[in-house]
Amino acid sequence: MGFVKFLGSLLIFSSTTWIGFYYGRKYSNRLRNLIHIEQCIKILETEIVYGATPLPEALTNIYNKGNKKVSFIFQDIRDHLMNSGRGDVFHSFSSVIEPLRDKLNFTEEDIEIFLSLGRVLGSSDRHDQEKNLKLILNQIKFLQDDAKIERDKHEKMFKNLGILTGLAIIIILI
Amino acid sequence: MGEDDRRTYENVLNHICLELRKILKKIPTEAKANIEEIRLRSGKPINVYLKGKDYFVAQDGILTEKAERSVLVNEKHISDTFQLISNYSVYAFQEEIKNGFITLRGGHRVGIGGKVLYGSKGIETIRNISSLNIRIAKEKIGVSNKVIRYILEYPNTIYNTLIISPPQCGKTTILRDLIRNLSDGLPYFKNKGFKVGVIDERSELAGMYNGVPQHNMGLRTDILDGCNKQDGTMMFLRAMSPEIIAMDEIGSTSDVESIHEILKAGVKVIATVHGDTLEDLFSKKSLSLLIKDRIFKRYIFLNNSKGVGTIGDIIEGDSFTSIKK
Repeated sequence: MGFVKFLGSLLIFSSTTWIGFYYGRKYSNRLRNLIHIEQCIKILETEIVYGATPLPEALTNIYNKGNKKVSFIFQDIRDHLMNSGRGDVFHSFSSVIEPLRDKLNFTEEDIEIFLSLGRVLGSSDRHDQEKNLKLILNQIKFLQDDAKIERDKHEKMFKNLGILTGLAIIIILI
Repeated sequence: MGEDDRRTYENVLNHICLELRKILKKIPTEAKANIEEIRLRSGKPINVYLKGKDYFVAQDGILTEKAERSVLVNEKHISDTFQLISNYSVYAFQEEIKNGFITLRGGHRVGIGGKVLYGSKGIETIRNISSLNIRIAKEKIGVSNKVIRYILEYPNTIYNTLIISPPQCGKTTILRDLIRNLSDGLPYFKNKGFKVGVIDERSELAGMYNGVPQHNMGLRTDILDGCNKQDGTMMFLRAMSPEIIAMDEIGSTSDVESIHEILKAGVKVIATVHGDTLEDLFSKKSLSLLIKDRIFKRYIFLNNSKGVGTIGDIIEGDSFTSIKK
């Protein structure tokens, strides 16, 4: 009997802990992905401002050079762009909203700023592109700061909450 | 021929925004092969040119002369089309935009109209693009076959030649085909082919796209794309050892100087110029010098009396008499 009790407690404890970590990890994921996306946009800036590489090629280059966990977004945008043939970059950026939210744990605000990239990309001369990219990079920096605060506040809380909930349930049941 | 032209047309359509593309795809098949220009103007009907006439395009693809039946082009159409034309990379075409046109894959040229902005170094960019003119390039292989025998001097050299024609009469097309013929060689005349240097100042001859000529320019042709004639001449003479230098649209004093440089180096010249008659050319100061010095030995006059590229006359440059048979 004691063994079954022990096994049950372990099961409860591990699952609540896992849930806690799962929710906590979203915050650190968001921060990490924001840092990766910043690097990707920096690569994009180099491609555009110094290389004058055409956009589809530049997007593929980001995918290859950047961290694959995030840079797949740019390859998706490129594929959508080339397949749709609509001449609308923003439309192709909008097509990746779902993976941004679900896979990269971006908030609405993060997504909004990322999409603003689609509004300006490729539509003006190099000088203007540089300014716009700098502006977006700046905004991403702010988002990172925000993400850091959120993570510090919530990650530990969710992790502790998971563990403590587990313990509480076990204590009540026993 | 018609099949190829139709395919060319459909390829060009891929550079036009989805909505207009659907309409332009519906135009009658026989018209597709003959379309020369597609003009998009913000707030105005879609306009196409074929066989020297212009038509508007209705929603169902029918060509009409009534403007009110046609589909209106809006700003969004223009900006989407411009994005497709520039491959979503306006920044990569800064230099081209400053010159007022972009060359597409296939050598087609897109002229741009809009608000021109000046910076400290001349034109900076074109904003608020309001009209686009897509000129479909048609390669006419073999159009120069009839004139080539007037140009060849013995099997292994040629006469300095000037091609004279009013606009839209095929001067660039015939020059392009002459280059191809001379560069490939002419077995019929026991000629093995010349090293030809092409100075393509306005990117019209070769239609370079990503460094690859989009027209057949022959086996022994070197091309300087977007290079002015004076610099191009010096570059070719210095290291490329051409036997013939070809250039489009001569006229300025510096062009005449370049031609003198070329002759000094013992290289032959083929060039084109705007004009109707020989008297026309005499009225242009810099050119009249070249003619008086009897530099060109052959003058080829084109007109469009029997369709684009009709050879009007061929004049011998020493006696100024016609040698056309």
